[in-house]
Amino acid sequence: MIPVRYNLRSLVVRKATTAATSLGIALVVFVLAASMMLVSGIDRTLGAAGRADNAIVLRRGSDAELNSIIDVQKVGLVAAAPGVATAGGGPAVAGEIVVVATMNKVGGEGFTNVLIRGVTERSASLRGALTVVEGRAPSPGADEVMIGKQIRGRFPGVDLGQSFELKKNRAVKVVGVFTDGGSSHESEVWGDVELIRSSFGRAGVVSGVRVRLTSPAAFDAFKQSVEGDKNLGFEALRETAFLEKQSEGLRAFVTALGASIAFFFSVGAMIGAMITMYASIANRRREIGTLRALGFPRWQILLSFLIESITLALAGGALGAGAATALKLVSFSMMNFSTWSEMVFTFQPTPGILGGAMAFAGVMGLVGGFFPALAAARTSPVVAMKG
Amino acid sequence: MSTQIEVRKVVKSFERGGQTLRVLDALDLQIEEGSFDALMGPSGSGKSTLLNLIAGLDRPTSGEVIVAGASLGQMSEAAQATWRSRTLGFIFQSYNLIPVLTAQENVELPLLLTNLSSAERKRRSETALRVVGLEQRMGHLPRMLSGGQEQRVAIARAIVNDPAVIVADEPTGDLDRQSADDILTLLQKLNTELGKTILMVTHDPMAAERAKTVHRLDKGRLA
Ligand SMILES: Nc1ncnc2c1ncn2[C@@H]1O[C@H](COP(=O)(O)OP(=O)(O)O)[C@@H](O)[C@H]1O
Ligand SMILES: [Mg+2]
Repeated sequence: MIPVRYNLRSLVVRKATTAATSLGIALVVFVLAASMMLVSGIDRTLGAAGRADNAIVLRRGSDAELNSIIDVQKVGLVAAAPGVATAGGGPAVAGEIVVVATMNKVGGEGFTNVLIRGVTERSASLRGALTVVEGRAPSPGADEVMIGKQIRGRFPGVDLGQSFELKKNRAVKVVGVFTDGGSSHESEVWGDVELIRSSFGRAGVVSGVRVRLTSPAAFDAFKQSVEGDKNLGFEALRETAFLEKQSEGLRAFVTALGASIAFFFSVGAMIGAMITMYASIANRRREIGTLRALGFPRWQILLSFLIESITLALAGGALGAGAATALKLVSFSMMNFSTWSEMVFTFQPTPGILGGAMAFAGVMGLVGGFFPALAAARTSPVVAMKG
Repeated sequence: MSTQIEVRKVVKSFERGGQTLRVLDALDLQIEEGSFDALMGPSGSGKSTLLNLIAGLDRPTSGEVIVAGASLGQMSEAAQATWRSRTLGFIFQSYNLIPVLTAQENVELPLLLTNLSSAERKRRSETALRVVGLEQRMGHLPRMLSGGQEQRVAIARAIVNDPAVIVADEPTGDLDRQSADDILTLLQKLNTELGKTILMVTHDPMAAERAKTVHRLDKGRLA
């Protein structure tokens, strides 16, 4: 076998072209890994927070809480359905209202929508991991709210101990900051359901009802009962399925964007790798002819140059994947289409994503290097003799 | 003494610009085992072409080439490569060392086609470098060596697999007189002490003088 150090050193000797070519590949891997990490971050924020033994009831035909309206009086019917767990001496249900408020960003860079959730005293316990990390939960009846960790300080007055206007002339005080395992609730403002209803003129209605079931298996009977009376117009969804649906659009958007950018870049990067390898092989014709004269068979020459271009690509891949991993430190806000409000996402690197991105780099090296390697393998040994 | 290299009625023509150039014209040549032969002739007379045929790098248009008992025309391309790695040592005019490999690694190259252990490959390549007097330069890259030293590394590479035949195309062509003399002395030593059959192409009369037999190529035939 032709030793791999031959290829490694040949790459090192051509520092500038090697670096330029692997940078091209690094860019592709960066885009690819970053978009996959973002999708995984979206899953974490929008999807992973759901519980299999939670259900949400919305008005039939409304995919999201935002455009669902249910009469407050009918919440009792949901609570009476079979399979509903009890907690604290009552049914584990919470009729919540969800509205969107427009807020100015800190620093005056325009405004954006923030999701405001009117909750009951049961709402927090229906979430898997909701914890007030600073301050306290708002008291019912008071003009108080708590805010998710991710929007803290992003809007004027939206910070612990400060006040801001939910609506014109409707100032509320921030008394607590909460986390919820990275879920989308961390980008919301939570207040008492009565406060939110009156502030936004939504008397007598909720958006949806969150329900804790006795077990995940209890869902089917619950759904049948709740959806049974067509006049009520209810639709029951598992919380996991509901959240997955919420993230579908954004997930598809980021995936499509990332994949198409990566695809076009990768064509360029592969052509770059091909040109580099062709040039390098043209410069080494005598070397290759000598190897052939010494008796190295064609397949070994082919393999050797494939290894070289794959190594070149993997070096770029490692660079791109490393840079993408650094995005872990970055969080950024993006419009979530299903709620029309801004939500903060993080990039979530996983071994699978990084491994997949490296594999993609390897494939780029293989494809880009194939024809040059074939040309090298076809070099006649007579070349070695030419003065 | 048996015949080591036999060239029978070999014709080699090249197509160039629609014209056929007959470089070798029914050429015959015999070289005995253990001989040191020089092949001379004016530039463009077909010396390298003939050497390529004998070395199994190229095929004749017609005729037969038999080297170390093997008829090259019968072999596939891959079989010729294997045969070259076992039977031949190559010395080139411009040394043809791999620039990114050290002297020792360059010499080891032919052994990578055997199934010798890495320790054994190392031992043999060091021995070969000792034969050419470069045991102090094993870890040097070609660019750190003089032309004469580079050619000696190339000679070590040509003998490391203990070939029956060594072919050299203008081995002193790029060297000054002193280095050229050293190389020729070395080739003579390989011939007399190690019994290698050597065929050397040269246009340098002083180089040809060192050979036991001199062949002159002219107009496609040996004069
Ligand atoms: N591959 C080839 N295609 C066409 N012509 C060639 C080829 N190889 C050699 N020739 C021609 O054959 C003749 C002999 O070349 P060569 O054997 O290299 O001569 P020498 O080594 O004696 O200087 C020259 O005229 C050369 O141009
Ligand atoms: Mg020549």
